[in-house]
Amino acid sequence: MEHPQTPRILATHLDAFQHKLVRMVGKVVQLRGETAIIDAGGQVNIILTRDSHLAVNHFVEIIGKVDGQLNVKVHAATDFGTNIDVDGVKAVVEATHRHRGIFYDDY
Amino acid sequence: MNYTGYETSYTSYGAGGGAGGGFIPGDGSQTSPSGRKDYSQDTLRPVTIKQILDAQQPTEDVFKIDGANISQLTFVAQIRNISTQVTNITYKVDDGTGSIEVKLWVDTDAAEQPNSNKPKLVENAYCRVWGKLKSYNNKKHVGAHIIRPVEDYNEISYHLLEATAVHLYFTRGPPGGATGGGAVNGGYGQQTQTGGYDGGSVALPSLQGVSPMAKKVYELMRTSPQTNEGLHQQEIAARLGVDTSEVARAGDDLLSAGVIYTTVDDQTWAILETD
Repeated sequence: MEHPQTPRILATHLDAFQHKLVRMVGKVVQLRGETAIIDAGGQVNIILTRDSHLAVNHFVEIIGKVDGQLNVKVHAATDFGTNIDVDGVKAVVEATHRHRGIFYDDY
Repeated sequence: MNYTGYETSYTSYGAGGGAGGGFIPGDGSQTSPSGRKDYSQDTLRPVTIKQILDAQQPTEDVFKIDGANISQLTFVAQIRNISTQVTNITYKVDDGTGSIEVKLWVDTDAAEQPNSNKPKLVENAYCRVWGKLKSYNNKKHVGAHIIRPVEDYNEISYHLLEATAVHLYFTRGPPGGATGGGAVNGGYGQQTQTGGYDGGSVALPSLQGVSPMAKKVYELMRTSPQTNEGLHQQEIAARLGVDTSEVARAGDDLLSAGVIYTTVDDQTWAILETD
């Protein structure tokens, strides 16, 4: 498959997904040049690429790889604007973990 | 006249072109959709792409998901590639659970006027697709009726939750005593309470190596009725009659073993289902 599965997770799950490709939705809290901090049920340190354009206070969907220090290295970022229901995002993460069969193979 | 033929018989591509349309009685009955198929069995089901890829195909034209026949499908996904052909546009789309090709047949007469203010169907944009599952040479694709760009990104969450709720409806039955909007929560509640763990001797290989207290906590969590928020560590401590700090340690064990996860706060945990 050209586009591997990307489990949807929150900050609290980072530990369980070290060295794996994941998908996270969070609000950009801080931009610091080559890194950023997003709030995705907890703060997550994001390692940016040159062409990831994040905006503070916007929600962003990150597809990226979790490293050994629980940073997430961006493969792709999509701006989700400012109107995102955080409870909806959390509910999705929970649903995808609880009912994994329709979302993901083993990970 | 030829154009009229195209418009009314859009399901049979290529049939209307040279023949001069549906004004010949014999031809008309063949191309009229209402004349040959019973649409009362038609359903529109929200699905994930993984569900589409996993769909069973007992016979040539029949696909099943969760044992139920499917006809129309809808899903939300991100466009990864667009390939424009003479007769159709093929979108390769990905929703994080898998990727699949979506073919939209080109209707040259209905070319939309581009509106620069609206989101467009471009690579990496999210889209909502309605269509039918097809299989050609054992390769599945979706024949789309409509593809439109997603403008409100909450639609992604909405769709995935809706797909989950419908999946639970087919695999576990309607939520018990639910009224309207409570469908999703009802489904969860039912699951955590009846779960199918009644046997008591479930193999739990992932619990190897955790402390005895962690096993006790896990056992309590999977047998206690609870909401989808799980249980707070103080509640667990009270029910087991042990100190909160012991439960906290046990919780750390279980969290790092990846068998539970935190929900509303760091002290509230739910069991990670592995079905």
